[in-house]
Amino acid sequence: MSEAPLIALKGVNKTFSRGKERLEVLNELDLDIPKGSFEALMGPSGSGKTTLLNLIAGLDRPTKGSVEVGGKDIAKLGDSELSRWRSQNIGFIFQHFNLIPVLTALENVELPLLLTNLPSAERKKRATTALRVVGLEDRMGHRPNQLSGGQEQRVGIARAIVHDPTILVADEPTGELDRNSADEILGLLDKLNKDFDKTILMVTHDPAAAERASIIRKLDKGQLV
Amino acid sequence: MIPISYNVRNLAVRKATTVASAGGIALVVFVLASSLMLSEGLRRTMQSSGRADTAIVLRKGNNAELSSTIDDPTVGIVRSAPGVKAKTDGTPQAVGELMVVAFMETSDGKGRTNVQLRGVPTDAMDFRPEVRVVEGRPIQPGTDEVMVGKSISGRFKNLRLGDSFELRKNRPVKVVGVFEAGGTAFESEVWADLEVLREAFGRRGVVSSVRVRLDSPSRFEGFETAIESDKRLGLDAMPEREFYEKQSEGTTLFITVMGVLIAVFFSVGAMIGAMITMYAAVANRKREVGVLRAIGFSRLNIVVSFLFESLLIALIGGAIGSVAALGMGLVSFSMMNFSTWSEIVFRFTPTPQIIGTSLVFGGAMGVLGGFFPALRAAAVSPIEAMRE
Repeated sequence: MSEAPLIALKGVNKTFSRGKERLEVLNELDLDIPKGSFEALMGPSGSGKTTLLNLIAGLDRPTKGSVEVGGKDIAKLGDSELSRWRSQNIGFIFQHFNLIPVLTALENVELPLLLTNLPSAERKKRATTALRVVGLEDRMGHRPNQLSGGQEQRVGIARAIVHDPTILVADEPTGELDRNSADEILGLLDKLNKDFDKTILMVTHDPAAAERASIIRKLDKGQLV
Repeated sequence: MIPISYNVRNLAVRKATTVASAGGIALVVFVLASSLMLSEGLRRTMQSSGRADTAIVLRKGNNAELSSTIDDPTVGIVRSAPGVKAKTDGTPQAVGELMVVAFMETSDGKGRTNVQLRGVPTDAMDFRPEVRVVEGRPIQPGTDEVMVGKSISGRFKNLRLGDSFELRKNRPVKVVGVFEAGGTAFESEVWADLEVLREAFGRRGVVSSVRVRLDSPSRFEGFETAIESDKRLGLDAMPEREFYEKQSEGTTLFITVMGVLIAVFFSVGAMIGAMITMYAAVANRKREVGVLRAIGFSRLNIVVSFLFESLLIALIGGAIGSVAALGMGLVSFSMMNFSTWSEIVFRFTPTPQIIGTSLVFGGAMGVLGGFFPALRAAAVSPIEAMRE
């Protein structure tokens, strides 16, 4: 018998209302993602990629259907439970890096650990380790505006892995980067998948980025094709 | 918890708006602390004017010396009441004094106001050992001489040492001395010989009040009973401290109410200022809030963080306002005491409680001003915020 998928979406619908208009973004979508896979989600703009990513990451809830992650239907969690769940299980990597400008690289990376009971020294130690994994231990004291785009994204990745989540969700992680920096970031994601057994879900428009994934899924008009 | 350094550094980044909103709060805290310090200054000045072992006797129903009249025979009865301490020669330690007011021009020439004139018997300075002549000499009994309290000497025209002024028309008197009285209300008075003042004001045979030194503060009750039980006398006795406290009640209440009203009025503006600053902060940092929410910080974490930031602005403002108010401690202030209708000089007197109250008031403005912006920040949807 095969192992149960880490992420299982069943009959998921997501509809947005804009005034009287109802917009169906995801339509009766079923999806299983096994633990440890590196999957790329592709599709034209408006196909529902980011919406799907947000549902899996617990940022949004489906209009209908269930989103089970690790056997738990996260669609049924309340707002604060969902916040807590995200802080323990999900690492976010954003297209625009979204680092806090007034905090140093180390402080940005430490942020998710502030939601744990770890003592300060331990938090600093883990944040330093995460920065070492992404090769930026010599930039710990730098603020985001003192870093290049590629370095900022690497800090973003360190922040995403510092609390050791099971799943990394990356929304266009190379969208703002030049080819070289993009390749570095994709190499890093590959390493996190292979060496650290992270399940990675990446939304991308970039075919070169998608090729790094073990599975490429295409979405169109709210359905997997 | 979102780290405090996040708030502190954000305040440092937007220095101009931080300073502007802290400035508004500083002004409110300054006004509030200053008015409370003023009330406290008046209260202490008046309170220190009274001694625990001294009682004051006034005509029944009068709370102020100015409106009270006691004739000489009655003064004699008061002096011989039980509990009154005797001097070494066996005579009672008691002074009957006349209080009148003179309408005098201030030294800046900007206006005229009442000054209290106290007609004192020859042993008035023995009765009040805290009174010390610091310039010139004491008055000679029976002469047209006066001495002036240190606080008002120089504040009025012709009240400096060597000056002359008219008690009444064609009754000139000369300032021969300036006295200190330990910062008490006496320092806001002009002292003349009792008989000279009686004659000048047509008050022969009467005084306004009688003060007696008691054997001990515990003898007051017996003294009071003796004085008040004789209904023919029609007198009221009161511990001197209580008398002065009552003298300052109306004015301190007036200053406090005025101060609080002005502070509350200003605080509306300051709160709106803090609110605008915080709304702008939330709008500018919407994406950051979205990221923090995505990472797992709860709505409560966001509310607390923004409220804290607003509180921080208020505390900066509060600290500035308090320091400025403490600076007012160096200034002495002159105003009308409504109980005596005369000018009294006192200092802005800070206490830890006043500074604490003012800081709490400032902090409350920060929390109230930051409340709705903080709620708006907590309502930010991470998805919406990051889409922008």
